[in-house]
Amino acid sequence: MSTLKHKGKGPQSLTANTLRDGLNVWLTPEFEWSMDFGAALKTEDADIIEKMNTIGERDELSNLVVGVYFIDIEKETGLPVRYREKFRVKGPSYDTADLVPLDIQKV
Amino acid sequence: MYRYDEFDADMVSSRVAQFRTQVERRLKGELTEAEFRPLRLMNGLYLQLHAYMLRVAVPYGTLNSKQMRMLAHLADKYDRGYGHITTRQNIQYNWPELTDVPDMLDDLASVEMHAIQTSGNCIRNVTSDPFAGAIADEIEDPRPTCEILRQWSTLHPEFSFLPRKFKIAVTASEKDRALIRAHDIGIEIIKNDVGEIGYRILVGGGLGRTPIIGQILREFLPRIELLPYLEATLRVYNRYGRRDNKYKARIKILVQETGIEKFREQVEAEYAELVPLDIAVSPDEVARITEYFSPPKFKKLKSEEVSTDNPAFARWLKHNVLPHKVEGYAIVNISLKPKERAPGDVTSEQMRITADLADKYSFSEIRTTHQQNLVLPHVEMGELENLFNALTAAKMGEANIGLITDIICCPGMDFCALATARSIPISQAIAERFWDAERQSMIGEMQIKISGCINACGHHHVGHIGILGLEKAGVEFYQVKIGGDPSENAAIGQVTGPGFSDFELIDGIERMVDHYISIREGEERFIDTVRRVGVAPFKEVLYVEA
Repeated sequence: MSTLKHKGKGPQSLTANTLRDGLNVWLTPEFEWSMDFGAALKTEDADIIEKMNTIGERDELSNLVVGVYFIDIEKETGLPVRYREKFRVKGPSYDTADLVPLDIQKV
Repeated sequence: MYRYDEFDADMVSSRVAQFRTQVERRLKGELTEAEFRPLRLMNGLYLQLHAYMLRVAVPYGTLNSKQMRMLAHLADKYDRGYGHITTRQNIQYNWPELTDVPDMLDDLASVEMHAIQTSGNCIRNVTSDPFAGAIADEIEDPRPTCEILRQWSTLHPEFSFLPRKFKIAVTASEKDRALIRAHDIGIEIIKNDVGEIGYRILVGGGLGRTPIIGQILREFLPRIELLPYLEATLRVYNRYGRRDNKYKARIKILVQETGIEKFREQVEAEYAELVPLDIAVSPDEVARITEYFSPPKFKKLKSEEVSTDNPAFARWLKHNVLPHKVEGYAIVNISLKPKERAPGDVTSEQMRITADLADKYSFSEIRTTHQQNLVLPHVEMGELENLFNALTAAKMGEANIGLITDIICCPGMDFCALATARSIPISQAIAERFWDAERQSMIGEMQIKISGCINACGHHHVGHIGILGLEKAGVEFYQVKIGGDPSENAAIGQVTGPGFSDFELIDGIERMVDHYISIREGEERFIDTVRRVGVAPFKEVLYVEA
């Protein structure tokens, strides 16, 4: 995993959590945050990575997101390299919420 | 149970008001995340792998039905309809939004609950025997001692920024159901040679990445000296505990590096410096607090033999029901280990049913256990079958307490930001493999414990079979320990060797269980057989096909 000061190798994406609800988000090519990893910007372009860095710092300062960091992306699959980050993309493999009727769940 | 006085209520509600303001300031950008993080952690709010997580304190695992209904309300209104009972007898919600948390804390305060000190480098929620006040073998109810500790340690100014978190457990029986030997301080309520009740103090136990069994600090501490002596112990830790390396900051490392003899000398020297009994709790105050835990108004009943032709009910009686100290009553364990569920998870509907059943059958009292189950502590024996039927209808009638499917399991990679591998699917696969009720009964007492990382929240070091989930190059694998014991004979398990894939693991466990069945003598439990023959024969069958 890279830090916000990007030191990763190969394609990079920028990830964070939204401040209000804590959910995982990734920066899109439009430099907006999406909960859909499929919409994430993945690039090796140093200039774009620098801009992603700037956007990440800005949005953290403006309290949209917290815990911004770069992640390494596999060229072949387009998925995160690290196992942990793959899990952040996929969500839990098991959640008891799936057994609870949706109409009584807040989210 | 304890009821808040004016001071408690004011303290908790003012704390909620403070946190509401802190959240507002964070959302406006007046607090940075670096400034806000310690504040939210002090109120039990973590940022986990996918979302925030709120950990709510259940002091020494004691709840009433009104509080349980509020926990169900929180699950529905602010989360996804369930909660997770933790190995520290607390309850966690996996999906709250930051903006809702002040309201959640307000709702909790309305039933005398909070999330204070469920995180941070402070004295955490004190845990205890889930059968406190009901079990015959206790010297006294340990909960008044727990409550005294809670009042002393809550927002204690000197101990709010310790080198690391600090966990205390209290029990009042020789049989340890609170894992006191794996706590920073373990307290055993005992009687001395002349019949006086006091405390045996253990120190320096813990699990995590450096598992250590606690050692005796004081063999017998008179009751009145409890708080001053703990104050001295915490002071020594606060002064000498390492702050340069968080992995070496727990008191167990200090005790190990200092040596128990010298550590004891340091504590006694500090104790001698304290104003004599300055903060001691007077006998009158102990009596006042003990009064809150007076037994309910039990009926005068005769103990009866519960007979049944229903094999499911018979199994449940055998495995989930324990004798009560009052004739005609029983202690009932409610399993939160159905086959398809994450251990310890309980839906809001089940919480409400438990609350209703507690009202109907158990003087409105409920306990949470560090085994991640629930307890109704005071049930008339004549009502056991009705209770069993109601629990079965609510999918809480599993008869597997203490058996191979009664697994302790941390949330693992499915939810935890620190995890290295998943633990929930492993517990489900073990449950699936061994689900047959007759087979579970035949295997007998077995404690499997699973952690999804070396922090050991799933207590794998003290499992009869302990499983540690790790990851290398994107592949999960699982190390096995054998011979751990969480009881009064506490022991750390031995690592068997290289790890396994998930499917190899389940086969390996089955081979070890089958081997145990084939060589056990008499009434030997798995752990007894391991002690008799050693780990090597089990290791041999574990790796036979690896």
